Amino acid sequence: MLNYIWAGLIIISLIFAVSQDVMDLVQDPYQNGKEHNIEIIFPENGDTDKRQNVRFRIQGHEGTYDAVWRPHADNPELLISVDSDMPELWLSIAQDKDSTNDDEMSAEVVSYDPASGTAMIVLPKVYYVKLNAIATAAFNMAEFAVTLAIGLIGIMALWLGLMKIADESGLMYFLVKGVQPFMRFLFPNVPKGHAAHGVISLNMAANMLGLGNAATPLGIKAMEELQKLNPSKDKATNAQCMLLTVNTASIQLLPPATLVALIGTGVNELMISILIVTFISLMVGITAAKIYERFHPEDDHIENIPDDQKIEA
Amino acid sequence: MRTIAAFILPLIIVLIPLYGILKKVAVYEVFVDGAKEGFTIAIRIIPYLVAILFAIGMFRESGAMEFFMMALSPILGFVGFPVELVPMAIFRPLTGSGSVGVLAEMIATYGEDSLVVKMAGTMFGSTETTFYVIAVYFGAIGVRRVKYAVQTGLIADLAGIIASVIVVNILFG
Repeated sequence: MLNYIWAGLIIISLIFAVSQDVMDLVQDPYQNGKEHNIEIIFPENGDTDKRQNVRFRIQGHEGTYDAVWRPHADNPELLISVDSDMPELWLSIAQDKDSTNDDEMSAEVVSYDPASGTAMIVLPKVYYVKLNAIATAAFNMAEFAVTLAIGLIGIMALWLGLMKIADESGLMYFLVKGVQPFMRFLFPNVPKGHAAHGVISLNMAANMLGLGNAATPLGIKAMEELQKLNPSKDKATNAQCMLLTVNTASIQLLPPATLVALIGTGVNELMISILIVTFISLMVGITAAKIYERFHPEDDHIENIPDDQKIEA
Repeated sequence: MRTIAAFILPLIIVLIPLYGILKKVAVYEVFVDGAKEGFTIAIRIIPYLVAILFAIGMFRESGAMEFFMMALSPILGFVGFPVELVPMAIFRPLTGSGSVGVLAEMIATYGEDSLVVKMAGTMFGSTETTFYVIAVYFGAIGVRRVKYAVQTGLIADLAGIIASVIVVNILFG
């Protein structure tokens, strides 16, 4: 399933990007190569042979804008500072052109009449916007993935360290005992008294309270505990699928911090609806996982767990 | 509730080593020993995260979203599902930051007191970034064949999405 979704995302992206770009080629929304009529205002005693700051006015549009006049062997160049008051077409060209700097664009001055100040300029040509965009997105996200993973190291280390202490001191044992009945229902293949039960319950508690920083490392730790019981190391077990489902659809007693930041005090109202909805989705998720479980009987390797991985109950 | 949450983290962080000391565990050494794993796990997740995130990034930029919104709107309109919520419903399981963006945009467009924003907020608060969770959790232990985890995760999300619309309608509609 993941294979198809993954490939689907990439293929759909390509199809849509290509069709959008072909449509752009036909419809020419950026009016590539069109000569725009402007009036350039040089400072007093301005010399057109020198590089200097100028202002200009777009014909049929109010207001003047900044630019840098750059003399050139053939045609001079106008380096335009993009302003949000500019016509829509100019802004979209500035945003979608090749170069990464959206605040500037360079236009070629095709003709300039020093007497009246009028000039014809050609703005940068814009092609294959979407294809460039998806390629850039792929690279950016790949980089972002690493930043994200590296950012996890510290918090992961903190929680894994604490869990190890909890484990060695026997604290986990109390927890495991407390949540046993519920865990036995959700994870029937995990032996009674296994450390996984304790970590999973901590993970669920952290999820309910919206403590994302704690929930993720605890969830990973729980996955590791379940992995010890996994006979085929690269294929998920039913217990691992259940843990994942419970994590994606966890009851929320507190709203996530981002939601509070976005909605503000209005979030209080939403607490009831979020509580109800998360309860419904958790029930549906667990039911779905339990049904899938029937069609994916576990291989019978569970009995071969080494004794040192069981906590004496 | 908020008070409990404020207490719970510091309490856990303090109580665990304290209990360890009482039980005569070499807390510092044991902590360092456990913490070592943090690095290995984070590094192990990277390929999985890259795989998931770059595909989603491409999808987000390709403009496919607008097409799906257009294609789905007649069907959704028929069953009474607000079309404005489609981006949220599709983005929520895919990307956390993307769905924050969608929600922020919706608040700006429709105002935070509108019914659709309440629905979107409930959706945001009640479902998880399923694909990110899959990448991180299964990546950490090196599981590549995830069996039916995607399906159950998405079924739960779908239930959350539908329930958001219905519950908000009943409570505030």
